[in-house]
Amino acid sequence: MPQTLNTSTLSHTTGVALEGVTLHRGSTTVFQSLSLQLNEPRIGLIGDNGAGKSSLFRLMCGLDQPQSGRVCVPEGAQSVGMMFQNPDDQIIFPTVEEELALSLQHLRLPRAQAQQRVREWLASRGLAHWAPRAIGSLSQGQRQHVCWLALMLAPHRVLLLDEPFASLDLPHQALLRREIEQAEPQVMVSTHVLAHVRHFERVIWLDHGRVRADGSGVEVCAAYEADVASRTV
Amino acid sequence: MGSLYSEHRTWLHAVPAALKLVCLALLGMGLFVTQQWPILLCLAVVCVGLFASLGKATARAKPLVMGVLVAGVLVAGFHVVMHQPQLAAVTVLRLLSATLMGIALTLTTRYTDLLQVFEQVLSPLRWLGVQSDRLALQLALMLRFTEHFFVVWRRLDDAHRLRTGKAGGFKILAPLTIQMLVTARRVADALHLRLRR
Amino acid sequence: MGEFMNTSTLSLALVSLFAALIAVLGLIPKIDLPLGVPITLQTLGVMLAGCMLGPKRALQALLLFLAAVALGLPLLSGGRGGLGVFFSPASGYLIGWPVGAFVTGWMMTLLPNRSPRSSAISAFLASAMGGLLVVHVFGVVGLVNIANLSWEQAIMGTLVFVPGDLIKCALCATVVHTVARGLPDWRFGG
Repeated sequence: MPQTLNTSTLSHTTGVALEGVTLHRGSTTVFQSLSLQLNEPRIGLIGDNGAGKSSLFRLMCGLDQPQSGRVCVPEGAQSVGMMFQNPDDQIIFPTVEEELALSLQHLRLPRAQAQQRVREWLASRGLAHWAPRAIGSLSQGQRQHVCWLALMLAPHRVLLLDEPFASLDLPHQALLRREIEQAEPQVMVSTHVLAHVRHFERVIWLDHGRVRADGSGVEVCAAYEADVASRTV
Repeated sequence: MGSLYSEHRTWLHAVPAALKLVCLALLGMGLFVTQQWPILLCLAVVCVGLFASLGKATARAKPLVMGVLVAGVLVAGFHVVMHQPQLAAVTVLRLLSATLMGIALTLTTRYTDLLQVFEQVLSPLRWLGVQSDRLALQLALMLRFTEHFFVVWRRLDDAHRLRTGKAGGFKILAPLTIQMLVTARRVADALHLRLRR
Repeated sequence: MGEFMNTSTLSLALVSLFAALIAVLGLIPKIDLPLGVPITLQTLGVMLAGCMLGPKRALQALLLFLAAVALGLPLLSGGRGGLGVFFSPASGYLIGWPVGAFVTGWMMTLLPNRSPRSSAISAFLASAMGGLLVVHVFGVVGLVNIANLSWEQAIMGTLVFVPGDLIKCALCATVVHTVARGLPDWRFGG
């Protein structure tokens, strides 16, 4: 059923809008005329596997293009950043300082200068000793944190985190939760660990490519949990 | 998996990478131009002396040097058995000189300095489609994943051992290749996001 | 996974990651075949690159790998590396690797790839042409020029390694067969 477009103007510093987006993948329809306005500073995305959470994020950061409809994001080539579930799929350089220096490429600094800035920035966060470390020597949680740091250094206005808590131990989950709370850009988190998004201002429950519920974190999480409980009887 | 660069500083460390490369190239060409074994002998003596002057820095290259000596003995022995002692001498002297100097360069030149020279040399080829600025990125990506795939190999090997009691051997090559191809797609996604300007 | 938007980043990733795979094959100690014959898997990597990536990317992957070796990284079997290896008698074979990978890849584009079985047979033939024949031709040229062997001696010498390399072609074919079954939408030959 087509949804009416919200014609209010979109804020250009943050916020993502989808307008009548239809996405096919092979023979399946992932989204059919989906429209969403996403302006809240913290938004959660929950739902079963295969509901379309990752596909939604891929549309928002430009990895996939919809067959029809539009995705509106803030201006700038790097306005939307994404963190994938597995840090090993996205870390490119063998050491921490080289990896983080890549996030500063928009400044077009020579390599040595970029790495110097990275070292200073890490020192300001109390992580100076991380700079020369080899990625291979870091734990899974530490690698995920490197991915987060890379996102912090890049000029992103919107951050998409795709199941970031999935492979983290409790201490690193707590660390990431705190980082998300204090982050400046808009953050959208897709997760199965509902505890981390329950306190969000807005949570969207996606089911087979459709918005099943959209409201405060507490309400939507409770509705989803009730639904899962009823299905598992 | 460290590099072959030696942290023991020698006089050769201070020489710029580009100069060392040019000298090595000239030496290489010179060695193959002449067939006179007395000249080659002098050159070899100079090269061995130069190599020895690096002192402690050469410790790291011991397996490489052993390899050269073994190759030299085999080749020389072969030619002597074929009743061609002169050819044996010429071949071994060339081999020794060129290889030792190659090793000396590797021991005393930082990977990043050599990379800079490579990039400068390749930059005129940009109009041919060769992207010299991507070279550093691709090398880094390669090194990062060499370590990672080694870990994946060990994990697959452990899993195989648990299930069959034997080492995996080449049977693990196919699953590792599949992993590599799947990872490549995901890495390309991440790269696409981070390299956008 | 649907249509891939940006093929140039995919190429970049495939080239770098395959070069990494070839490096890993050099780090793994010699494998013992059933008859107790030890082989190193790195030359198998050359054949596999051609079969999996197609001519252009396979060439780039091998060039990247050799560039890393030239820069001083001990990525060849036995921990060898640096510019010195390009002056050794076996350096002809090294130079042959990128060319062999290219030829293998090129042949894979010409040969049938419709089923896992046909892909495997094509892989065997392509590997034999590129990874074996071309590499050995370059190797012989290297032996003649650096070790000063005569053409006959060099050819006799290289023939010793051909049986082992034929086994590697067969192994490459089995890997291609398994990958074809595991990733049915992979286009061999790039």
